[in-house]
Formats: sequence, structure tokens, C-alpha cells
Amino acid sequence: MEQACHRDRPVIQVRRLRKEYIMGEERVVALKDINLSIMRGEICCIFGTSGSGKSTLLNQLAGLEKPTRGQVLIGGVPVSRLDENGLAAFRQKHVGFVFQSYNLLPELTAVENVAMPLMFRGVPKEVRELEAKKMLCRVGLANRMDHYPGQMSGGQQQRAGIARAFITRPDIVFADEPTGNLDSKTTKEVMEMIHRFARTFHQTIVLVSHDPEMTEYADRIVTLVDGEIVSDKKNRGESAI
Amino acid sequence: MRLADIGRMCIDNLKRRKGRTILTVLGVFIGCTSIVVMVSIGIGMKESQDQMLESMGDLSIIEVSQGYNDMGNSSDTAQMDDTAVESFRAMEGVEAVMPKVSLSLEYPIRMTAGINDRYYCDWVEIVGMDTEAMEAMGYELLDGKIPGKTADEVLAGQYLAYNFYDSLLPEGRNYVDRWVGYDEQGNELQPDDPFFDPMKTPITLEVDMSDGTTEKKYRTELKVTGITKEDYGKGGETSEGLMMSVDSMKALMSKIKEVSGAAPSPKDNKITYSTILVKASDISLVSEVESSIKGLGYNTYSMESMRESMEESARQVQLMLGGLGAISLFVAAIGITNTMIMSISERTREIGIMKALGCYVRDIRLLFLMEAGAIGLMGGIIGCVISLLLSVIINLFAMGDMGSMDGGITGELILQALMGGEGISRVSVIPLQLMAFAIVFSVFVGLVSGYYPANKAVKIPALEAIKHE
Repeated sequence: MEQACHRDRPVIQVRRLRKEYIMGEERVVALKDINLSIMRGEICCIFGTSGSGKSTLLNQLAGLEKPTRGQVLIGGVPVSRLDENGLAAFRQKHVGFVFQSYNLLPELTAVENVAMPLMFRGVPKEVRELEAKKMLCRVGLANRMDHYPGQMSGGQQQRAGIARAFITRPDIVFADEPTGNLDSKTTKEVMEMIHRFARTFHQTIVLVSHDPEMTEYADRIVTLVDGEIVSDKKNRGESAI
Repeated sequence: MRLADIGRMCIDNLKRRKGRTILTVLGVFIGCTSIVVMVSIGIGMKESQDQMLESMGDLSIIEVSQGYNDMGNSSDTAQMDDTAVESFRAMEGVEAVMPKVSLSLEYPIRMTAGINDRYYCDWVEIVGMDTEAMEAMGYELLDGKIPGKTADEVLAGQYLAYNFYDSLLPEGRNYVDRWVGYDEQGNELQPDDPFFDPMKTPITLEVDMSDGTTEKKYRTELKVTGITKEDYGKGGETSEGLMMSVDSMKALMSKIKEVSGAAPSPKDNKITYSTILVKASDISLVSEVESSIKGLGYNTYSMESMRESMEESARQVQLMLGGLGAISLFVAAIGITNTMIMSISERTREIGIMKALGCYVRDIRLLFLMEAGAIGLMGGIIGCVISLLLSVIINLFAMGDMGSMDGGITGELILQALMGGEGISRVSVIPLQLMAFAIVFSVFVGLVSGYYPANKAVKIPALEAIKHE
């Protein structure tokens, strides 16, 4: 894995990836034999309207769903073939998630939520909460440490979500419509934050969105229509920031 | 994940749904309580049975007597002699053997004591026995010691002296009543002392063999060296008889024969025991020893068969009562499963998020098993506490019925109801093992009930986290 993560070598490789769903009597093809490589350190936006298959693609990349056919290799590891335990270990080490609806556990404080991925790794409480506090300071929630998600605004919750996604310093962070529930001002804040983290730690971001504005923050925009890649282009010049 | 973290999450989750947790625990503790109380009543029954059997005699003693064959004749091979004693002694599981021979004469015997034979008794059972085996057999002496080699040394039964009449007092007042009855509380009253202390007053034995024409009497003075404690399990002579060594008995019989003028026969030196007591080294060995003695052609009697059938019925009652309790615990188990399934369907998203963030499947399973087990544990502990309370209350009521609660409920009474004691018969007995078992079993029931929901939780896909509401 580590050796595979040099710059200019693909960290994610998708080979002839196909996903079909059975809906009643009908067979719906969500992804039609997709081929895609994403480089280390790249911020890649998968762009498409709803129903284009972009979320399905994200699920396949992150190993949340098994493909019908084809392969997803992350750092050379075929994620689509890992079993439950393998996937859990894989996610602990290499993957972070930012969700559209934040997905913080309502009964846990901000610190506990952010520390959760470290808890799954077996890091002692004191150590992981100290780390979580550092992360919360970084995302500007120093004064919200012991607040519950219900006591925070959407933007604050998403910032906690970002802290949680980056706390393990993952190779790749998947962000599924991370600003879908936020207003434009907070959207900007959140996206800049993700951007900054990714650049600081040289991490790969896979961003899924239907919002053309999002593409501004990406190095590369992959557009999906009806389960097929219709365009794959680098962002002109430097990205928006 | 660390076990401490899983434990913390488990406690948090149970606390979060307090009402539901309490209701589920309620079900478990009712089930646990009913099992414990039911079984405790069964154990109480057995305890009072054992006390009853104990009072009837030593349970480990087998009484062996002459066997008879199919024709009704005494068995030729199975003689009640020293060979038999030796063969019993050699058996495995036999702790001691006590041969006994009763003095049986066609002549009247009279015992006298005191100055000018003031006190007399016209009936006595005299038994010759292996005095050396008395200690091993568990004979208890209230006073004095076991007789030595001297022929005139004997042991007296505990109440022997009460059988004597005073020849100087009128009819009706010439004896000391041993059975004075009971007081108002139902306690046995202590009788007055008998006319004399056999340890201090020599007893004279008189066998009258006169045949109308010639007067033939044999008189001999006996020295009582000890008093045995009454124990009908070992024979009535411990209560009202005289006991001596087999050799003394042989000497006594040959003297009587000599005085009576009967011709000596070669049979005289060969002794036939009336009974042989065999003590097994443990109650559990009684039936084995008994059947091997029976196999030799002897008649045997012991408490074993009675004890076995009583134990069997007690066991059946216990099983039945425990089964009744088990039904309610079973219902509680369904309650746990139900609660866990509900909690899991509420937490579907949470589980999905945990999985997406890299939580191991085994940790999720462990978390839910722990929650179910914790419900069982709480129910078990509360159930045991409530059972103890109920048990004390039941016992206090039972003791109240028997009239030992006149002074109201005292701390001592409660302690007796809880722990039992000498002469206390409890209706409900909860041994420590029963409590430990109840708690372990409740946890086990929790785990079993949680198994299906935990597996359901494990199957929730990480994809749940991504789904939009």
C-alpha cells in the first residue's frame, strides 16, 4: 500500500466496473463498465445529476457495496473482494468519510464523535480525545467540544464531521454531497477546510456533487451521465483557492 | 475496539433507553426470582426431610440379620458368625462392623440396685457387642468410658435407671416418670432424676432358674463404666439396655448354663450374632455395600431405600417448581430479544455509521451481546436480592405458625430465617450456589436472547450511513 502511494501513481483504479440493480422485474444498469484512475493527492469531483450513478460509484469506491462486475483497486488492494473484517480494517487505516447529513451520533459529544474512528482502532480514551480536541480546534470548534450534535448548527456539525474524517490521517476521504444541506456561506467554509486539509496532508479527496459550484474546488472533474463517464477534465489552472 | 469502550457504550445505550431497560430487567428479575424461590422451597423440603431422617438414626448404618432361603429356612452359607464379621470388614467402603448378640433366655431376669435390693426392674435387654468398634460406629457416651476386659464391666443405656421401681414406695408412686409431657410452648419438659445414678450404684443381675422343686438362682454384680446416648439407629439398648463385650456375654451365658445344670454342648463356644451393624464410610456408599451384603445371602435393613425414595420425590418436586419458574424466565428471555430487536431497528443508521467508520463486525456483535447480557445480569442480581427477601418472609411466616415468634420479629429470628440453624426447619432455603447459579443463568439467558438480535445488527450494511432520510 505505502509503496503504491507515490505521486503520479493512481491510488484508486477502477476497471470495467459495472453495477446493476434488480428493481421488481426490471434490471437497472447504474454503472456501465467504468474505467477510472485517481492519483494520489488529487481532489476529484464526481459530478452528475441525480440518477447519473455518481452515488453508486462512490459506494463502490468506498467498498460500501459490491459491484456486479469489475474491480476497484485502492493502493492495489481489490476492495470489492474484501470481506467484512477486511473492509473494517481497510476503512480504519485508509478511508475517511464526510456525509451529506453529517451522521454524527446524537448521544455523543463533539469530542466523542470525532474520536470515534480512533476508538474503533483501540486507541485509549485519553489519547484519542486529546487528538479529537486538536482536530476540533483546527476546524474552529474549540468552544463546542462538549456540545452534542443537536446543540450545533449544520455548518458546525459538518465541521465536526470533517474533523472526524481526517482524524486518522486517511489516504482517501470520500465526501458525499458534503455541502448538500448547507447554505452558500458555510459551503464555502466547509469546502475550503476540506481543501486545506487535503493539501496539508497530501490526501486524496473523492467528492460527489450535483452542484456545479463544487467543481471549483476540484483538481479534476469527472462527469457522469446515465452511468457512463461523459467527460473527465482537469480544472483550468489552479483550483479556486 | 477496547473492551472498556464497548462496555462504556453498552452502559450508555442502556441508560439512554432507561424506561425500556428497566421494564426488560423487571421481566428478567421476576423470572429469576420465581426460579430461585421455587427451587429454594424444594431445597427447604429436602432439608427438613434430611433433618427427619437424621433424627431417625445414623443414615450410614446397615443392619444385617440372618438371611432366609426360599424354603423359609435359615441360610446355611450365610452364618452370622465371626467369619461373616470379617468378610464385611474387608468390604470396600465399610468403615466399621459391629456384631451384636442379645441375651435370650427362657428364664426371667431381674435387675436390682441399692441397699437391700431396694430398686428393681423385671425386664432388661442385654446385648453383647464388639466394644472396641463402638467408637468407630459412632456410639456416643454421655458419661464414663467403654468397658475394659473385666467381665463385670458394662455400659448402661441413657434411660436405663428410669425402668427401676422402688419397692419401698406404694404402687403409683414407685417409679420416676420419664415422660412428663410438654410445656405450653410445646417444648419437652425435663423429667426428674431417676432413683439412683447407675454410674455410682452397682446393679445386680439375677437369673431365676428354679423349676418348682429346686431353687436355682444366678446372681452377679455388674459395674457400669459408662452411659450411652440414646440412638435407636444403633439399637434400643442404647436407651434402656445393658451392653457388654462379646467375651463378657459368653462368660455370662456359660455361667447361667452351669447353674441351670444343663449339659454343656460343643455348640456353646460358637457364637451366633443376632445382628451385625455395618457402617459405610459415606452415605453415598450405603446402597453399594448393602447390595453386596445382600448378595451374600443376608437380610439387610437401612435408611437408604427410604432416603432414596424421599430424595427422588424431593427431586421431582424441585424440578417441577423450577420448571414453573423457568417458564417466566423464558417469557423474560423473549422480552430481552424483543427489546434488543427494537433497539437495533432504531439504531440501524448508527450501526451503519459505525461500520462505515471502520468498526469491526465482532465489536458490534459484542456490543449487543453485552447489552443483552447486562440486562440478564441486572435482572439476576435484583432477582437474587428479592428472592432472599421473599425467602426470609416465607420462613418468618412459617416460624410464626409454629409459635416461636412470640417475641415479635427480632434480628435473631431474621438471621435464623436466612441462615437456618439447629432445630430450625425452613420452608425456603437459598444456598449460595443457587444464587450464583441464578445470576450466571440469567446472564446466559440474556446472551442467548441477544444472540439473534446481535446477528441481525451485524448484518446491517455500512451503506445505511449513506442513505438520505
